[in-house]
Amino acid sequence: MRGLSIISSAGLITASLLAQPPGPRIGRGDFAVVRAEFGGANKVVQGAPYSAQSVTQFTQTLANGDHIQRTTTASVVRDSQGRTRTERSFSAIGALSAEKSAARSVIIVDPVASKSYVLDAESHTARSTPLPAARPNARPFRNSAAAKTEDLGTQVVQGLSAQGKRITRTIPAGREGNEKEIDIVTETWYSPDLQVVVMSKTSDPRFGDSVYQLNAITRAEPDPALFAVPSDYTVKEGRPFLRGAAAQ
Amino acid sequence: MNENDRELLQGLRALAADGPREAPGHIEEQLRAEFRRHNRRRKMLTWMPVFGVAAAAGIALGLWLHNEKPKPAPVPTVVAAQAVAPVAPVGDEESDAGFYPLPEAEALPAVENAMVVRVQLPVSSLQLMGVPVSEERADASVQADLLLGQDGLARGVRLVQ
Repeated sequence: MRGLSIISSAGLITASLLAQPPGPRIGRGDFAVVRAEFGGANKVVQGAPYSAQSVTQFTQTLANGDHIQRTTTASVVRDSQGRTRTERSFSAIGALSAEKSAARSVIIVDPVASKSYVLDAESHTARSTPLPAARPNARPFRNSAAAKTEDLGTQVVQGLSAQGKRITRTIPAGREGNEKEIDIVTETWYSPDLQVVVMSKTSDPRFGDSVYQLNAITRAEPDPALFAVPSDYTVKEGRPFLRGAAAQ
Repeated sequence: MNENDRELLQGLRALAADGPREAPGHIEEQLRAEFRRHNRRRKMLTWMPVFGVAAAAGIALGLWLHNEKPKPAPVPTVVAAQAVAPVAPVGDEESDAGFYPLPEAEALPAVENAMVVRVQLPVSSLQLMGVPVSEERADASVQADLLLGQDGLARGVRLVQ
């Protein structure tokens, strides 16, 4: 069954690849941002405002001993009503680096108005899309490897009390052609006060290591203007992005 | 030894004392000509299989060249895939959003703040994200949506029409 699923999945991806037009050539390992959208997964947390800078460091060790290192940053703000503003640069996504200078995107998610806005600083436009309805029983990503969870207790991380846990997923020998077992370790530190992950580390021998952390956390109420579309921007209504790949 | 034996012996001795004798010249010439003819035939028989194989190979090559048609350009081929089912991002209403979880996302923390980025990227980039593809079209580019978590790392990919 798994084999059939793999084949069908491979077939789908192959068909999709074959359907693509030639397109412009861009550098190997690079990407060009076409646009960014609200992802539709944010949970609404009220009464716990904060501002922080998130930093993610990604390191991949190649077979020849060389290393790929990428750092991405974002500014994250949330007010007491649960509105969020994320300003992220796309200089890198994991092992990929941006083709041009880092594209930036500002996304405002306003659960009070049930809308999200994507601000385009170049065209001074804000694309507005309705928020999808909250779904209490969201499905997490599937993890095919056997997992073992360890409670790491409570520690102060980035000035906040955080609960830690370590999840070790083991891919048995032979399953992916590997001679020995592969351990994939994820360590997560979660702040119950802010209801956010303040730090996480992932070590996957297959793809690399990543460290994510929230820095410069401030728990003051942020400026309300951050959650409003600037007055000189034109608001355009759009369809929810996730309802279809061709949605514009 | 009787009388006959003695006569034979004397005859042989007289013959031996007469010196070396040679065949007549025309007989030698005939012998040489016959030898050359025989040698040519033997050489022909030796090389005949070689000539046969070479001729067969030549004919086969000619037929192959005649029937050979231009091959289509190599196309990207997925040689393996790990994702087995479409998976909705956490909290996403649309279970058919069509994102396929990336192998490298398997160990990443749960998505609590998601973003979707539409990117133009070469096929080789899919390889970097853990989707094995053929090297033959590594420079071909595709548009794809990447589902990013709060850490900016991709959890899923969806190829755009």
